[in-house]
Amino acid sequence: MSEVLNLQDKIKNELLDISGTISEIVDSYKQLHSPLVETQKNVPKATEQLDKIAEQTAAATHRMLDTAELITQREDEVIAGLNIIKEKINNKNYDEVIELCDDLALKASDNNNDAFVIMDALQFQDITSQQIDHAVVLLEELEKKLHRILAVLNGEDNKDLPEVSVSKKRAFDPHADLFTNKTNQHDIDSLFSKK
Amino acid sequence: MDRIILVVDDSPTVIKFVSFSLKNKGYKVVTACDGMDAVEKISNMSEKVDLVITDLNMPNLDGYGLIDTLRHNDEFCETPIIILTSEEEEEDKQKGIQVGASSYLVKPFKPALLVNEVEKYLKN
Repeated sequence: MSEVLNLQDKIKNELLDISGTISEIVDSYKQLHSPLVETQKNVPKATEQLDKIAEQTAAATHRMLDTAELITQREDEVIAGLNIIKEKINNKNYDEVIELCDDLALKASDNNNDAFVIMDALQFQDITSQQIDHAVVLLEELEKKLHRILAVLNGEDNKDLPEVSVSKKRAFDPHADLFTNKTNQHDIDSLFSKK
Repeated sequence: MDRIILVVDDSPTVIKFVSFSLKNKGYKVVTACDGMDAVEKISNMSEKVDLVITDLNMPNLDGYGLIDTLRHNDEFCETPIIILTSEEEEEDKQKGIQVGASSYLVKPFKPALLVNEVEKYLKN
């Protein structure tokens, strides 16, 4: 009889031990679940930001190249025009000289405007650097989560984990975009004039 | 006398572009890389700043913090302040109004639009 009771105690202890182990596994699973879910969310977000950067950098660069091409074409026309002016002055065709000068002044003014178009397109650097900052922050978050997962797998306490270093203090607009400016300045001005 | 405009942005590209657009129209431009830098510069300047253009997302002290600080200072409580930001949510504009901004422009911006906005306050 005492042997049966002894065996019962042993089985009870084993069951308690197994139940404790299961609780620990459930706790570990709970600790792993949240960082894994967040990790899964952050990777596509960072990828999306990097795709946006590549796309917007390419578009802005093409715009600048097209504009630079227009400027150089006009410069060629200006040089050719000046040579014609020289001839016309020699031939004393002053009316035509005046007309040509007006035309060249117009081309110079167009080039001036196009210089602004290039500078305008260069704003892509500000927008894409905000997108890069957003991607970096997402990757830093990812690194933190992975550290946490590794700690759980190694049976370490979260509190003992060293802080993941952050390379710089970042301030950015996560929605910064070069193309999707949905704002009408007139609407904003009306909003501010009501205050 | 040249009108003085303080441009506050943590992006050197934006600072260059805004400065170029304004200097081209005859304004004198002073720059700061964040709200804290702007407060320091504005407090140490002997000349009066006529207008402030500020970004919102900046380290140390953001645009809202800067506007709030300036609006609580007797010397700058009436100075026109234009927000220039890539944030275009309604909530951001409302917050801009609340802290006391004079107007709001969204990046990327056209230089003519910026000059036009500045001239609304600094004409004459």
